[in-house]
Amino acid sequence: MPEWKSDIRKRLASLKLEPARENEIVEELAGHLEDRYQEMLARGATHEEADLAARTELSDGQLLVRELNRIERQLGAEPFALGARRKNMLGNLWQDLRYGLRLIRKNPGFSAVVVLTLAVGIGANTAIFSVVNAVMLRSLPFQDPDRLVRLNESNPERGWPTFSVSHPNFLDWRERNQTFAAIAATSSASANLGTAGEIEVVRGSAVTVDFLAVLGTSPLMGRNFLPEEDKPGGATRVVMITYGSWQKRFGADPDVVGKTVTINDNAFTIVGVLPESFAWETGSNFELLFPLAPDPQRSRGDHRLTVIGKLKEGVSREQALADMNTIAAQLAEQYPESNKGWLVSGQSFYDWMIPEQIRRSLLLFLGAVGFVLLIACSNVANLMLARATARQKEISIRIALGAGRWRIGSQLLVEALSLAMISGIAGLGVAWLATKALKALNAGDVPRLDEISLDGRVLGFSLLISLLTGVLFGLAPAIHAARTNLNEMLKEGGRSVTGGRVRQRIRSMLVTVEVGLSVALLVSAGLLLRSFWRLQDVNPGFNADHLLTMRINLPRNRYEDNPRAWGFYKRLVEEAGALPGIQAVAVTSGVPMGGGNTATQVQIEGKPAAADGSSSSADWRIVSPGYFRTMGIPLRGREFDERDSEDSQPVTIISEEMARRYWPDEDPIGKPVMLLSLGRKTYTIVGVAGDVRSLGLDSDPAPMVYASTAVAATWNPMNLVIRTGGEPASQVSAVRSTLGSIDPNIPIYDIRTVDELLSNSLGSRRFTMFLLGTFAAVALLLACVGLFGVMAYLVSQRTHEIGVRLALGARPGDVFRLIIGRGMALASAGSALGLAGAWAIGRFLESMLYQIKPTDPITLASAPLVLLAVALLACYVPARRAMKVDPMAALRYE
Amino acid sequence: MSYINAMLDRELKKGSAELLILSLVEIRPRHGYEISKLIEARSDGVLKFNVASLYPLLYRLEKRGWIQGRWVEKAGQRRRRYYKLTREGRKVLAAQRSGWEEFVAAISRITGAERA
Repeated sequence: MPEWKSDIRKRLASLKLEPARENEIVEELAGHLEDRYQEMLARGATHEEADLAARTELSDGQLLVRELNRIERQLGAEPFALGARRKNMLGNLWQDLRYGLRLIRKNPGFSAVVVLTLAVGIGANTAIFSVVNAVMLRSLPFQDPDRLVRLNESNPERGWPTFSVSHPNFLDWRERNQTFAAIAATSSASANLGTAGEIEVVRGSAVTVDFLAVLGTSPLMGRNFLPEEDKPGGATRVVMITYGSWQKRFGADPDVVGKTVTINDNAFTIVGVLPESFAWETGSNFELLFPLAPDPQRSRGDHRLTVIGKLKEGVSREQALADMNTIAAQLAEQYPESNKGWLVSGQSFYDWMIPEQIRRSLLLFLGAVGFVLLIACSNVANLMLARATARQKEISIRIALGAGRWRIGSQLLVEALSLAMISGIAGLGVAWLATKALKALNAGDVPRLDEISLDGRVLGFSLLISLLTGVLFGLAPAIHAARTNLNEMLKEGGRSVTGGRVRQRIRSMLVTVEVGLSVALLVSAGLLLRSFWRLQDVNPGFNADHLLTMRINLPRNRYEDNPRAWGFYKRLVEEAGALPGIQAVAVTSGVPMGGGNTATQVQIEGKPAAADGSSSSADWRIVSPGYFRTMGIPLRGREFDERDSEDSQPVTIISEEMARRYWPDEDPIGKPVMLLSLGRKTYTIVGVAGDVRSLGLDSDPAPMVYASTAVAATWNPMNLVIRTGGEPASQVSAVRSTLGSIDPNIPIYDIRTVDELLSNSLGSRRFTMFLLGTFAAVALLLACVGLFGVMAYLVSQRTHEIGVRLALGARPGDVFRLIIGRGMALASAGSALGLAGAWAIGRFLESMLYQIKPTDPITLASAPLVLLAVALLACYVPARRAMKVDPMAALRYE
Repeated sequence: MSYINAMLDRELKKGSAELLILSLVEIRPRHGYEISKLIEARSDGVLKFNVASLYPLLYRLEKRGWIQGRWVEKAGQRRRRYYKLTREGRKVLAAQRSGWEEFVAAISRITGAERA
């Protein structure tokens, strides 16, 4: 008997089947041949004849191998079985998934384009979401953050919704309230830390004894301040240090509690070390907590403290505020002179620490990246539709063979989802890079940005949008495939004429939407850009060129009175002013855009406070002689000079805005004005200075009064402003050594050019504009790639029609115009859609704009123009190709 | 023969072969050699399946769950694989059979009309 098995086994070798399965097949086929052989013998054939007959059965060996290959290889490897009804869903899913992955591998170019497009979209979304997550969603790093409230004094009559709190008012609040479990006051304080030669300025906070209790934390080592250390005249020279300070400055010394450090030339005892999780202020140079020692003897009109409280369990913020305002009313009755008109306002920590403006920007970004993702999705949906056309035949054969439409549709969807998941993973990489870039870009305006990380919530979000993306771009082709009408498909034959009218319509619609979304983004970015340009053209009111500024913190124990402090500043200004390369030097309590503000109530003879109250206040600054000349602020009248001293008649210089508001029709020079926060004295106006935008380029100058350093030199910290001839930074060391020769124990810090301050004041706008501009550019690019794809596809599908047109006498120019016209029609329809969208977004954007209306005609006109120009470019190549169609070739193709 | 005809021929065979096999195992399970002999005999030699064309078809139908193969050992014989129609296969057979009958009727109506 012949040996069939080894022969069959050889033929099947190339299939690399599982051994068990191979044995089965070999046995069955060999059995068949054996039956044939035996039958032939039985009919009387010779052994040779029978052997031949049996082997003939195998003659079509290639066919056998090929067919078996298709069936036996792997589960998902069988096109015919795909779409067939199956018993279990999971098996289906697995089959679809493997089939999908195989298709992805088989079309690396297509897959790469899809994955890249989506990865950009998903990555950008993940990155922005990780910011939203860190800034807005993650809970604040305090215990029971929902019960934490910031309390302010407020004076609605004067238009001051949030104002700091005075010492005695705080003490009364603490004593009388019924609604807070703990209430504490704090004020920030810089300190000169160290001894001669090694002094460093570090940041810290003065806090009352309940501060840690409000935040729900306690010292890691040592103890909190004692009540007697938190009283004026008490043993207040104690300090708690942060974990970072303990690590950095004391090498994590376990015996640090009880040691002394020199702060502002005094010995302080370290009583405690704060835990690592303590997060009142971030930044590595925040190192110290001092006792605040609130003083009941201080003026109730002197508002300096930040007050925070923790609500009692079950008490709402409204109840607490009602309680506090009852106290405010009692105080107003008891101390009408200082407390009349003052109420208490409160906000949650969340609202306080994450300002409305930032939340709004973040939502704007989230919306913008959402648009980008939508555009990416429609692009991919278009690609998938185009490919679905090419796969029409495969799909229809499967349906003809009995595959369920639902199965075909779901298989396409699974394919889209696997593409989306791969893109999602790539997107995480993009997000990781993008968050790094965002952190680097941040101008310091967005709080908690350093906490950004790709945590579980971010990963979940990323997964969700990847799935959503897959459904979005996979659904159209899937539904379309499931709806495929066999008859229609057979009519269109193997070669579809225009890719199906319906499909072409879907594709055009998608592109129109894409264009619309990108126009909306372009308009938004354009509005922000125009605002930014407007702002850059705003005159700050001084000359910021070659202007250097730095801060000085005079230790109070050696410069406790005005003559000493003033003597120090006078000498510093004189000696620094004499340095080569320095043109002018002055001292001020606040540099424009340096952050912070000081305001006072003013009383003007013969002018009772206006009914709305807002007219009777002004911002104030203490400045030295020569300040206006140094800053380049125009001045009418005179500067402060050596005539002004504590013994002479107090004089003030006011701003133009102040003059306009209170002396609209007369010259204010020589007129008296009473400044309540500056010693409650009556000052004579000796000069009128130009308006300065001290709070930022985008805020209008408020009325301002200036007092001379000669009478108020003990203000801390003071800022030195220095006008230099050359590069400002090159003068720092000369100034430092001059200061050292006067008093070696005073460090300078916060050294910056005023140009920097100006530029920082626009930081958050620049950040917003840059991000939105980037998103708009990506959107524009994607939309035009989409348009290009649709037009190129259209041309390739209509080659035959174009050939006929050309054969019938159309000129290439006509064809060119036909295609360009079609593309432009799509782009125009999209632009119209986008403008409508931009109108809606504009209202949300309004508060971020500066002197630009959301309906700014220039922006509204130029965004579609930019888009149309780029769209024209995108249509040009396909149109050229259409023009060059060879009618003979196109017709022969038929 | 034109391309269309060749394609029609191939598709017809492919489609009808499934129907043939399903019909043959409808009443009782049969093994591969038996199926091939039956096809040849009942078609008077017009239709022939050899190993290379028959078994891939059987495996495919099995994979789809329309038929199910099982090794059976009978006394004095080597074991053979018998294929039986599944519940699913029975449904498919009914559908294909009526489809086929409609098709044949339609064809004969057309070709018959020509002749008449």
